Amino acid sequence: MSWFTGIDIGSAYSKGVIIEDSELVASHIIISGADYRKSAETIRAHLIRKAKLTQNDITNTVATGSGADSVYFASQKVSDMVCTARGISNVFPQARTVIDVASQSTKVIRLDEGGIVINFTVSEKCAAGGGRFIEVIAKVLRIDLSDFGPLAAKSRTPITFSTGCAVFGESEVITRISEGIPKEDIAAGVNKALASKISSLVKKIKLEEPCAICGGGALNAALVKAIESELKTNLLVPPHPQLITALGAAIVATVSATSQFNKD
Amino acid sequence: MHFAGVDIGSTMTKVVLIDKKGNLLSTIKGPTGAEYRQLANEVMRQALEQAGLQIDDISYIVATGYGRLNVPFADRQITELSCHARGVYSLFPNVRTAIDIGGQDAKCMKIHNGRLVDFVMNDKCAAGTGRFLEVTAATLGIRLEDMGDISLKAAKKIQISNLCTIFAQQEVVALLSRGEKLENILAGLHDALAGRVAALARRLGIEPDLVLTGGVAKNTGIVRAMKENLGCEIFVPEEPLLTGALGAAILAKEIYTKAAAVGEALPTKSRRLEKATFFTQEHR
Repeated sequence: MSWFTGIDIGSAYSKGVIIEDSELVASHIIISGADYRKSAETIRAHLIRKAKLTQNDITNTVATGSGADSVYFASQKVSDMVCTARGISNVFPQARTVIDVASQSTKVIRLDEGGIVINFTVSEKCAAGGGRFIEVIAKVLRIDLSDFGPLAAKSRTPITFSTGCAVFGESEVITRISEGIPKEDIAAGVNKALASKISSLVKKIKLEEPCAICGGGALNAALVKAIESELKTNLLVPPHPQLITALGAAIVATVSATSQFNKD
Repeated sequence: MHFAGVDIGSTMTKVVLIDKKGNLLSTIKGPTGAEYRQLANEVMRQALEQAGLQIDDISYIVATGYGRLNVPFADRQITELSCHARGVYSLFPNVRTAIDIGGQDAKCMKIHNGRLVDFVMNDKCAAGTGRFLEVTAATLGIRLEDMGDISLKAAKKIQISNLCTIFAQQEVVALLSRGEKLENILAGLHDALAGRVAALARRLGIEPDLVLTGGVAKNTGIVRAMKENLGCEIFVPEEPLLTGALGAAILAKEIYTKAAAVGEALPTKSRRLEKATFFTQEHR
């Protein structure tokens, strides 16, 4: 029996999975913090404990994400684009477009029938184009990130932002609060603004259905709904959207380990 | 005969009173709060008190800036671009390019013989405005007004790789935790902002003399970084915050004098100041 690990060190959260024959056996998510090396070690320790394994049981480890370099015990690092594509194809082989809403940016990837990346686009280096916008506003509204979606879902009159910048958006939210606008309308307004940015990103590389969504942003059901209504399509949401890229890394670990054995 | 210019910016509110010869009678600067209308009344009252005048003594009042529609006693509203151009020209008659960096936007103006002929501005992204420095100062735990001087002590400039203010804020924290020196980080932050404003100004084309105004012009680090980025001499007025309000007051005088010369009576608003009651006081 052989086990493979995929570790995805993102700017906000670090994620790891262990798989066995493409089946998920353990997963772990922590806040990345300032020390990525330590985050990687922590994730490895938790994964092994949860899977009731030892380090020697792991055949191969692949790292991905913006902090992939810090995973010193990985045999290789692979771009998050490839890993996200691999991960989503594993869950939804029929998906032709994937939207990955991460903290730092949003990626849109087009896949062919074999799950190979044929085109992609990434949001500009701007907090208003990724999940960070939601994190910033959740802090102002003093609500947990996990409550953001359910709160937004209650709104019937979302606010409209006059700015495309997360910093100016934050000031605008403070003004709206002082005017007595309910929190749910503000949260729904943030989702609407982000959904509109994401849908124009998708349109840039042309939507090919079926379309899946992953990343931490996919945990926000109201955001998913807002993107669905912008794109006029139903989105496929995996059971653990935050783990897709780490899952893809673990699958890549399986493939590269096999090819190494073949070489020998 | 006296004239007033009221400039309600996103961060600071400014008032300038001048006499019929254009001499400065009083100037007021204060932070802009949530209640623009109340604030306009309050700063006007302070300016009048400083000059020893009554509201009835003011012949014509021009309001400008982001909050110019919330000055109930202003006789006319004029965009801040025209007011800045006029104000800068009165202080620097050779000005051809003026750059104003405020708390919420940055404007570059081409001025020929005191008239605004062209402009470009950024009010879309905080990274090209004074807000970039406000946010990062708060992250570093230093006062906004100390930033520039500290940055001048830098032995080297640490390049800030993130454009977005929010990501730059995160980068600054990472740099600090890596043990980088505060002054070197600050030099990098100042260079980043100056580089973005310089790029905006180059779109317009830069002709000397160049004058830098707005609250950010008080920052010595930005003045130096702008000089480095643009490679030319930069003039800064003694009170860089006041050029908009000064221009508004001068335009008020010119409009009034021109109308008076042809015997035209200009419509004016009621010369009554509302009592200022700040309900937001305790929140600030």
